[in-house]
Amino acid sequence: MMRPYTPKDNVQAKAYYTDRFWVAPRIAEEPVPKEGIYAEDLDALSAKCKVLKAYIQRGQLVIHIDPKDNITALKTLKEERWYEMLSEMSAVDFLAERGGFEVFYQILNLNTAQRIRIKCFVDENEAIESVNPLYRSADWAEREMWDLMGVKVNNHPYLKRLIMPDDWEGHPLRKTYPLEGDEFAQWYEVDKIFGKEARDIIGPENRDPARIDRYDTERFARLGHEVPRGTPPEELKKLEEEGVVTPVRYQEEEGVFLVKDLNEEPKVLDKRK
Amino acid sequence: MQQTNKLQPFFENLEFEREDNHMVINFGPQHPSAHGQLRLILELDGEQVVRAVPDIGYLHRGMEKMAENMIYNEFLPTTDRMDYIAATSNNYGYALAVERLLGIEDKVPRRAKVIRTILLELNRIISHLFWLATHALDVGAMSVFLYCFREREYAMDLMEDYCGARLTHSAVRIGGVPLDLPEGWLGQLAKYVNELPNNIKDYEDLLTENRIWRMRLEGVGVIDADLAKSWGCTGPILRATGIEYDIRKEEPYELYDELEFDIPVTDTGDSYGRYKLYMEEMRQSVRIIQQLITMYDKTEPELMAHVPQYISAPKEDIMTQNYSLMQHFVLVTQGMRPPVGEVYVPTESPKGELGFYINSQGDPYPYRLKVRAPSFWHCGILQDLLPGCYIADIVTIIGNTNIVFGEIDR
Amino acid sequence: MAQHQVNYTQSGGLPVALTTVDKILNWGRSNSVWALTYGLACCAIEMMASGASRYDFDRFGTIFRASPRQADVMIVAGTLTKKHSEFIRRLYDQMTEPKWVISMGSCANTGGMFNTYATVQGVDRIIPVDMYLPGCAPRPETLQYAVMLLQQKIRKESANKSQKPKRLV
Repeated sequence: MMRPYTPKDNVQAKAYYTDRFWVAPRIAEEPVPKEGIYAEDLDALSAKCKVLKAYIQRGQLVIHIDPKDNITALKTLKEERWYEMLSEMSAVDFLAERGGFEVFYQILNLNTAQRIRIKCFVDENEAIESVNPLYRSADWAEREMWDLMGVKVNNHPYLKRLIMPDDWEGHPLRKTYPLEGDEFAQWYEVDKIFGKEARDIIGPENRDPARIDRYDTERFARLGHEVPRGTPPEELKKLEEEGVVTPVRYQEEEGVFLVKDLNEEPKVLDKRK
Repeated sequence: MQQTNKLQPFFENLEFEREDNHMVINFGPQHPSAHGQLRLILELDGEQVVRAVPDIGYLHRGMEKMAENMIYNEFLPTTDRMDYIAATSNNYGYALAVERLLGIEDKVPRRAKVIRTILLELNRIISHLFWLATHALDVGAMSVFLYCFREREYAMDLMEDYCGARLTHSAVRIGGVPLDLPEGWLGQLAKYVNELPNNIKDYEDLLTENRIWRMRLEGVGVIDADLAKSWGCTGPILRATGIEYDIRKEEPYELYDELEFDIPVTDTGDSYGRYKLYMEEMRQSVRIIQQLITMYDKTEPELMAHVPQYISAPKEDIMTQNYSLMQHFVLVTQGMRPPVGEVYVPTESPKGELGFYINSQGDPYPYRLKVRAPSFWHCGILQDLLPGCYIADIVTIIGNTNIVFGEIDR
Repeated sequence: MAQHQVNYTQSGGLPVALTTVDKILNWGRSNSVWALTYGLACCAIEMMASGASRYDFDRFGTIFRASPRQADVMIVAGTLTKKHSEFIRRLYDQMTEPKWVISMGSCANTGGMFNTYATVQGVDRIIPVDMYLPGCAPRPETLQYAVMLLQQKIRKESANKSQKPKRLV
């Protein structure tokens, strides 16, 4: 019998049920108006480089460009149209569907309070040119993007992991990376501090907050099956098979402190106190 | 008795044999004045910093990854832990981003808007008081720390009365607020905000003309307009460079277009100028809250937007109407399915522009969620800001930029 | 001028109170529990609040120290990430004995809500913990109660023996 195949290209949480006839609605991509600031921005940009697609979504202008033009486009918008602030840049992982990343630059014009999102599609093995000379904020944004997504950046002054440790393996924000980490991530701190040989002593991470180990005598009491603390589980299993039961002695009978006998007759009040 | 471990004493940040007289020292990641887990590697010439390399990521908890694995409502409490000093501003930023993605921004009832704006401004006061307390403590003014925490505790009591938590509020929901204000709350709030300007004046009396305070702050950490724009600095840091840009005024959300308030601006660009901005911003927040208190009574008691497709009906409907119960069940177990598209929504958090970029592919889980945290850029600017200043100024600058590591590393 | 008179024959000897070395050492130790400020995340704010004006930690003799060499108890307040884990072990090793650890908040106890690749799932994977505080974030009262319990624990310990090795995990 074969195991059912589960795709490995996107291991994030997915909806467990989707209606067969469900068609996701789309946010309207409105055309750019003929007049206004956005139209002027778009004209200035299309004079310098090729605009693949431009539309307005939820009040912000979105422009798709070729990844090779990113410096030209941002330079035009910065120097001619005063989009002087790069408020955010990052990437979106589309490796499974389209084999690459969508990099976006969110820029802001402080005079007119207009925002533009420049987007370009980068293949997995393609590198994008750093915009650090134009916007200093791209320094950290590109490092973060490289660190978490694995998008390569050319001519960056100091392309090094920013968020994760230097000796980390993998790019955590990719869709192929599981939320709870791969084996390297799960044993990272143990390997680093105590060495690989300590893995058996410390044990794997407990990712289930509701887990109760019935053979754990360190953390859990076993009422009616009391054993000394630290008894190995093999002995416990043996005792269980033999059916050894300690009679419960309640606090009232001068037994175990704090173990109350709750089997007494319930009190019924005649009226509310 | 120690467990044996593999850790070797490390000197990798100390180079003993160098040609010049420069010394490389390590600062952090666990330093009381680092405001979290900032690690700085500093190259010093005497007491002067030649090069500074901030190292972050010591509080990276993978929130963006968590968002990809959670339904939209589930992620909201996680946003509390980003800027944990003013948690509601994060909740609100996220809720607003999702509302704009769904297109239900204008369906939020007016009473919810009033409550949200009150909470946002109260959080701004809490955050600024905390900033003043810790900054003054770093610079050496212990009594200001104690006074500010006294005021902050009263504000926290108000928050606790409303939502039950002191620090991690989750007081805003997507589409409104979960609760109405408790009885008598507005009276207490009015009492608090009427008292606060006197206290702010006390702090100013202690600090503004204080010789040590001025010596430590004036001309320290000067950020000019070009550097601030280039580094994407927002909030008080941008406004201290003479650029009057406040998202509450320029791209108004909630009720900010109906409220009267001023945006304090200065062009000194140094720490002292920013200190004055923070103090003035607290006064403006008081002014906003006073206007909102009068607005509250004129609103209808509705609290959540009525969009059955995305947002659960009120509790009474769920308990009485079958269809509402079914909707609620689906929304809780499967989550809402927003339209395909993407939004970037900026809000003015106490520290600057807090933006949420959400990319939705029509699933109940966001395809990508990126948090534009103001502190991230305010921390990045340290590498351009610190060279040339003295060791004692580092503490002032770190304290003054008001960075919080929960939102830098996310 | 008032004169203090001791009647040695009647009061049965010198003005002396008798106790054991254990008790007097533990009395000193338990009433001056100096804490290492190990503020990592949100709980650090509550830790600061418990040291500030309303909650006033100083009345327990708890003073926050920035150096591990002057501290008795490490209050791990906040999320411990994998990148940071090395440093917490380093600082724990630098603390002088006897030493205790309070794990404050869900994140430090078990990883809490951050069930992700970057978070250590419980600080007790790295250093032995004496006390776990529930809550996200625990209130300052919780932390103060924990310190009071820790004082009780210290008073029960034998003062002149070195601490027993504590169990990890």
